[in-house]
Amino acid sequence: MGYRVTLRVNGERWELDLDPAETLLEALRGRVGVKSPKVGCERGDCGSCTVLLNGQTVRSCLVLAVEADGAEITTLEGIGCEGLAPVQRTLLEHNSFQCGFCAPGIVLSAVELLAAHPHPTRHQVQEALAGNLCRCTGYEPIIRAILGAGEEP
Amino acid sequence: MTLTRSFTYVKPGSLDEALALLAEHGRAAAALAGGTDLVPWMRDDLVAPDVVVDIKGLPGLGGITLVDGALRLGALATFSDVLGSPVVSATFPVLAEMAGVVASVGIRNRATVAGNLCSAVPSNDAGPVLLAAEASLQVAGPDGERIIPLSDWFLAPRRTALAGGELVTGVTVPVPGRHGGCYLKLGRYRGEDLAQASVAVLALPGSRYHIAFGAVAPATVRATAIEECLGGRPLDEATLAAADDLVPEVISPIGDLRSSAEYRTHMCRVMLRRALRAAAQRLGGDGPPYGERLL
Amino acid sequence: MSGTVGRADRANAMEDLRHVGRSEVRIDGLDKVTGAAVFVDDMDFGPDLLHAAIVESPHAHARIVSIDTSEAAALPGVVRVVTGADFPFTFGLYMQDRQVFARDVVRFVGEQVAAVIARDPRTAREAARLVRVEYQERRAVFDPLEALATEAPRLHPGLGDYPHVPWFFPEPESNVAHRRRTIRGDLEAGFAAADVVLEDTYRVPRYAHCALEPHVVVALQDRAGRLTVWSASQSPYTQRHVFAQALEPLGLSHQDIRVITPYVGGGFGGKAGVSMEILGAVLAIAVRGHPVKLRWTREQEFYNTYQRQGLVARLKVGARRDGTITALEHHLFWDAGAYVEYGANVVNAAGLSATGPYRIPAISLESVCVYTNLPPGGPYRGFGYSEFSFGLEVHMTRLARAIGMDPVEFRRRNAIVEGDLLPYGAPMNPSGLREAIDRAAEAIAWGEEEPPQEPGRKVGKGFALFWKAPAMPPNASSASFLKFNEDGSINVTVSGMELGQGYLTVMAQVVAEVLAVPPDRIRVETPDTDRNPYEWQTVASHVTWSCGNAVRAAALEAREKIFQVVHAAHGFEEGSLYLEDECVRCDTDPDFCLPLRDFVVSGIETPDGTYRGGPIVGSGMFMPEFSSTHADPATGQGGHPNVHYTVGAAGIILEVDPETGKMQVRRAALAVDAGKALNPALLEGQITGGLLQGLATVLYEDMRFDESGRLLNPNFTDYKIPTAHDIPDEVVPIIVEVPQPDGPFGARGVGEHTMIAAAPMVADAVEAAVGIRFNEMPITAERVALAVARREEPDTWAST
Repeated sequence: MGYRVTLRVNGERWELDLDPAETLLEALRGRVGVKSPKVGCERGDCGSCTVLLNGQTVRSCLVLAVEADGAEITTLEGIGCEGLAPVQRTLLEHNSFQCGFCAPGIVLSAVELLAAHPHPTRHQVQEALAGNLCRCTGYEPIIRAILGAGEEP
Repeated sequence: MTLTRSFTYVKPGSLDEALALLAEHGRAAAALAGGTDLVPWMRDDLVAPDVVVDIKGLPGLGGITLVDGALRLGALATFSDVLGSPVVSATFPVLAEMAGVVASVGIRNRATVAGNLCSAVPSNDAGPVLLAAEASLQVAGPDGERIIPLSDWFLAPRRTALAGGELVTGVTVPVPGRHGGCYLKLGRYRGEDLAQASVAVLALPGSRYHIAFGAVAPATVRATAIEECLGGRPLDEATLAAADDLVPEVISPIGDLRSSAEYRTHMCRVMLRRALRAAAQRLGGDGPPYGERLL
Repeated sequence: MSGTVGRADRANAMEDLRHVGRSEVRIDGLDKVTGAAVFVDDMDFGPDLLHAAIVESPHAHARIVSIDTSEAAALPGVVRVVTGADFPFTFGLYMQDRQVFARDVVRFVGEQVAAVIARDPRTAREAARLVRVEYQERRAVFDPLEALATEAPRLHPGLGDYPHVPWFFPEPESNVAHRRRTIRGDLEAGFAAADVVLEDTYRVPRYAHCALEPHVVVALQDRAGRLTVWSASQSPYTQRHVFAQALEPLGLSHQDIRVITPYVGGGFGGKAGVSMEILGAVLAIAVRGHPVKLRWTREQEFYNTYQRQGLVARLKVGARRDGTITALEHHLFWDAGAYVEYGANVVNAAGLSATGPYRIPAISLESVCVYTNLPPGGPYRGFGYSEFSFGLEVHMTRLARAIGMDPVEFRRRNAIVEGDLLPYGAPMNPSGLREAIDRAAEAIAWGEEEPPQEPGRKVGKGFALFWKAPAMPPNASSASFLKFNEDGSINVTVSGMELGQGYLTVMAQVVAEVLAVPPDRIRVETPDTDRNPYEWQTVASHVTWSCGNAVRAAALEAREKIFQVVHAAHGFEEGSLYLEDECVRCDTDPDFCLPLRDFVVSGIETPDGTYRGGPIVGSGMFMPEFSSTHADPATGQGGHPNVHYTVGAAGIILEVDPETGKMQVRRAALAVDAGKALNPALLEGQITGGLLQGLATVLYEDMRFDESGRLLNPNFTDYKIPTAHDIPDEVVPIIVEVPQPDGPFGARGVGEHTMIAAAPMVADAVEAAVGIRFNEMPITAERVALAVARREEPDTWAST
């Protein structure tokens, strides 16, 4: 114990006393209380734990919480706070998600993509999502929704 | 908690501080950059450092620049940095072609090229292209700085020429001038996978080639015998058939739960042909765009 | 009035559908897109929550000699260590053969032997490593045919004493836990009448569900003795029942147990029944007064939850040159694992239906459930049909070619139709199989050659039929309650599970249609066995049908009460009343429009100041009354074990690179007869998702065990499930609608069915493309490339 870190999570400042062995995923879920990043595999294989760290998607199960001292972290709870973001709206309207377990990671990957490529190609969407495993949907409704968000003016 | 062993975490602010820590703790210390290898290894108890030295606070280790005809990747340059680097796409696009098939975006945003070389897993992606390019590593240690050619770097699976107390500070890649490159990686499907076999080809003027294979030997291997066989000859069927025959001499793949030795060998032949063709076409200003799926 | 059908009659007969049949937005969509959706692992139980870790067997078959928990118990932070001696109970759904903790014998690598309960997860895991278990290894068996041999070790000497459902036939003194025979007609004559008889053997290995959410359970036995379990389960009521049966020796019964299930992150059958959740229940009892949590790691998810069973199938089918199938003999040997309490029903289901959707006068099906020292086999999307359809459909294609007939035409001629005899003698339900065949074949331009997209590649087309019926006890039932709120919104309580399939939404649409309240004003509440009425399980693709009927009945009851109240307060004849846009309307008084919200809680005030009515509630129940397992045990004839079949057809265009073996699906078309698609978008979601899951089993999912029975690839690094890059270029979903007479609005279930055809049609397409015949799954790029290379250069490969 005894590592004092400051995390800015979804715009809020958290001062935490951490054990270096805690992953960012564990700290977010257990101490900050944001539950949208999920425990899926704890090996960085499934993408369920994806968060934005200083604007980039990372697998929070592979990041030590102490490494994130001073960083800006965004989880799904920090997206669409003043009304749904366009990509959330299209994912909702397309009935893209089924069980919803992969949804937080997928939304964040889409947010990262659309920030860099507002009108992505299908291949770019697939590449952005390739690290987020989904067992339910077959991906097509998700891809269509994100392409749809890219078409919005 | 997924990491069950306790350890101390330090984030030094200067290279001297980092080196002092590594010298003090020796094998009980591990350098941490992206963590995409170190953290899973710690979880699986493959490594158990007492001290984790986070090098992300060290100045001057980031960035990708072109200096005196060579690409210089800082130790903290990630695969995403490579993909987004205008200097790489302008001078050595095959490096970006390789970076684009490493894992997925969320891993590439953290995983460093230097870290990939330091992991020295036989399937490492950075090795083949950089070995073909005759890259070298800048290493800082208790006795100052030294340069280790990549050809001397890989000793055995997960063992490198890095000595105790040393830290990689960068990778230097001589840019080959007019060239065509191709990196092909065999996965078990289109999704994220460790390389089951990989090949990097640089085609240079005068029908000269640099060729390296990954994931089919204890270390990344330079296929010198094949280079000599191909050198100066046109890429016709006779030449390619001769190269085919040399493939099993150059590689020594294992069969494991991922792929059989037979398939790895077979695919090395197939990939070599396709990579040679693409690299030669790209040398001529033609050929498929870098990053196009050729497998 | 006379001779015309009034608005009330039309509205109440629901002829002009306003919500059913539309692709309404999911009512849980907002929860999932904002991260508000709560799964069990997200729930907070306070700082008093204890954490458990399991001690697992490293051996596939061994006698437990001793267990020393002293060192573990002494570790600071450890609250209790428990073993099978503390909870010497067995449990199981269809047969009670599974131990809560292995006591005398362990039967698969990873089986739970003991558990540690501690104040934090890390301490629990550390302590689990300190439990010392001494084993005496025994000979293990991993193949069903080997396990059938007389010299094979007997895995369950007590098989003869296990309680089981009356329609299972275990064979004590052997490793056969159940054998289902279905025999009809004269097999010998049937083969004699055939012009061509084709015989072959097919092998299908085990597969993992890989739902993204791992199994997890939190349980609390309060100080008064009441046990509450929060689990990621497809089956809260069945879980309660299995817990009650197992814990009866402790004096617990259904009244004492409550199961609560929020959203579940994917099931696919793996979260049906009871697997690891029993551990949560007993651990809570061990530390009464404290909640205990047990969450499976991804590794445990692979080796200590249900797996899809392995199969060795011997098939013999005869046909005449005119295309008529004359006889079919199908012998299925199942690698069912160490415990078959659920998996034996997969074997049973296959034994009733492994003819496929064909009209065949003479059949012999024999489906054998064999114990092996591998993880317990169990329910997996397709429930035996995915497993046996690989060989069956490939075999049908080859038989067609052997008699010189087009494989699609062959299927058209033999496709089972309404009224034809099913394998067990009952009549086939209405179905649009021929329409599905025609539309799927057209969608992939069957019969036309497709050029490859890249030079050097080969293109092949494949085609397969599929069918499946729910495999349930004859009295599987659903029930539903419904109430209105003051704002006219509705709460519906059910105990079916939202696994992602969209079940809550479809139930809301059914209610919306009956009560004229839009789905976004209807909440459907996730299960709580104290508050929500009974649902057998969310499995078998049956809840749309079964619970849809129950929910519709509840809504109809509420509607009836609404009309009674309005009649009592206003005098209108009930037959003249109808609901429209959240109001009560009247045929005989077009100006009458009473908003539901005005009275559905408060009642209707009458002129003298008294009220009529009060809170409107509805209840509904559905249980089939025609289903029966009574049948001749030797031939399976005479019963009606399956309520109805959902059928379909699928086709694929596959491009193969013969050098690399890599295969890309250019187009996959799948036609399924849903009876009535209550929500077409959600149905298409099942088609897209199920198809990809099926394709993955044949193209790259590859479970590997070593020679000691240990799973070598219990992770996503080496057990590959599809990513966004691995999807077909194009999926064509086709919805056929031949109504199911006893389904809500004519609906039949579609969920599992969409993965069944994937494997055989890929095998067909590969054979068509490169001429290599595969009788085994998976058909990986490696296998294709090496098979092609060996064929082309046999000398090079002679030694390999």
